[in-house]
Amino acid sequence: MSAAALRRLIVISLIALWEILPRAGFIPELFLPSLSSTLAAGWNEAGEYGHALAVTLYEIAISMAFACGGGILLGAIVGSLPRPRILIMPMVSSLYAVPLVILYPVFTVWLGIGSESKIAFASIYGFLPTMLATAAGIQTIDPQLLLAARSMGATLSQRLVRVIIPAAIPTVLSGLRVGGALVIVGVVVSEMLISSAGIGYLISRYRTILDSPHVFAGVLLVLAMAVAFNAAIKWIERKAAIWQTGTRAGQRAAEEIAPTALQPAT
Amino acid sequence: MQPLANITPLKPAGAIEVRNVGQIFKTTTQDVVALENVSLDVKPGRFVVLVGPSGCGKSTLLMMMAGLRQQTSGTITVSGAPIPEPDPNRVGVVFQEASLFPWLTAEENVEFPLALRGVAKGDRRGRAQDALKLVGLDGFGKRHPHELSGGMKQRVSIARGLVQDPPVLLMDEPFAALDEQTRMTMGDELLRIWAATGKTVVFVTHSLTEAVYLADEVIVMSPRPGRIVDHLQVSLPRPRTYEMLSGDTFGSLRDRIWRHIRKSA
Repeated sequence: MSAAALRRLIVISLIALWEILPRAGFIPELFLPSLSSTLAAGWNEAGEYGHALAVTLYEIAISMAFACGGGILLGAIVGSLPRPRILIMPMVSSLYAVPLVILYPVFTVWLGIGSESKIAFASIYGFLPTMLATAAGIQTIDPQLLLAARSMGATLSQRLVRVIIPAAIPTVLSGLRVGGALVIVGVVVSEMLISSAGIGYLISRYRTILDSPHVFAGVLLVLAMAVAFNAAIKWIERKAAIWQTGTRAGQRAAEEIAPTALQPAT
Repeated sequence: MQPLANITPLKPAGAIEVRNVGQIFKTTTQDVVALENVSLDVKPGRFVVLVGPSGCGKSTLLMMMAGLRQQTSGTITVSGAPIPEPDPNRVGVVFQEASLFPWLTAEENVEFPLALRGVAKGDRRGRAQDALKLVGLDGFGKRHPHELSGGMKQRVSIARGLVQDPPVLLMDEPFAALDEQTRMTMGDELLRIWAATGKTVVFVTHSLTEAVYLADEVIVMSPRPGRIVDHLQVSLPRPRTYEMLSGDTFGSLRDRIWRHIRKSA
């Protein structure tokens, strides 16, 4: 059996177990409501979940724009100029090790418990890996490629557009993959902590009244968002970086950045 | 009316003149003399090899001929004019290992210098295909570099260096990363391309065998400071063949270069 088929089989059996175990009474519905009762709970409150999803997606979209835009811009500056690099990089690296969620209560004091504080927190949360990856992507460009371009008479702007940007794309994308995932984490976690709307808020509210099917309906929605995001990044990677198989830079950066990003969110 | 004698005759295309060139690298602790008082004449259409141990400045000299680096003192002219910056119409450069852009196909890599100059797409494609045909890669244009062998990649690099038809081709250890067999084949291929195009070639290498096998003239350099210690004429007839490698002429030329290099190492 192929690895892909096996993987599919595992997923299907897990889903089946999710339905069977609670129904057969092996697991109390409070701990794990069956898949069907979870879906039913979500369906019955479709309006509420729909509204929460809209709030969460709006926060994610804005945060994503800030995190990715800012991360790529600042990463490009830091990666290409040595002086800002010396100034900024040590700060960024130590900031990366701090559980940033400790700042979230401060943001709610400054910005209130609405979307603004979530956007601020998630933007900073996703910004760091994107920036680090972009800086690394630009720093690790083979100087031989730039020398070759110069020998063919490429001007500074031609070197930027035709060499530096395409060479950095795979590393930047792997940074976006991590940064974007952290944006989703950041939004949902901050909604769960202090908030009045969004999927995270619903999960947290239903938890306090021990309504497990409704909690799991929210969890399912967050899972779906993460899976959709991952699929989107994969699609972009395939489109933009067909040649990635031929270089090790993108692969290496992905390996370097991924483990550090697995720090717990709370 | 100006007297005709005042008009300087145009130097023939492809000639390289190096006059009393020095290069000093400034570091924070000390100044390193990379090249000292180097003078050299390369006549059009000649195949000249620069050989010497690491740090003798042979690559530095080549980079200066390409306009990629400026000398601290002295003058360098290519086809009669100084070369303050790279000029792909006068000089094509082929680098060590693959300096091909991995996200472009072989064809697009060869077109790259033309695209920089805004040459129309159709014209570009035709010239790239001609250059690829010249280096024996007809039909491989749509492949990406990672789909090509080491030797094929260097053929693409040569095609890229030749696509604007410059009279001079500078090569910086182009075959250093190739295995021995590919290296021999590529040497023969390069000689065939050189004979077909009549370019002036300046070729940097570590390999004494490669130097003697390819060259009309071998320039031997030594380090600390980098300077020219010998200038050999290789009298072996062309086309060069594998059998010449075991001949007396070949052996004595190689020994002579080796004695210089051993002394300076």
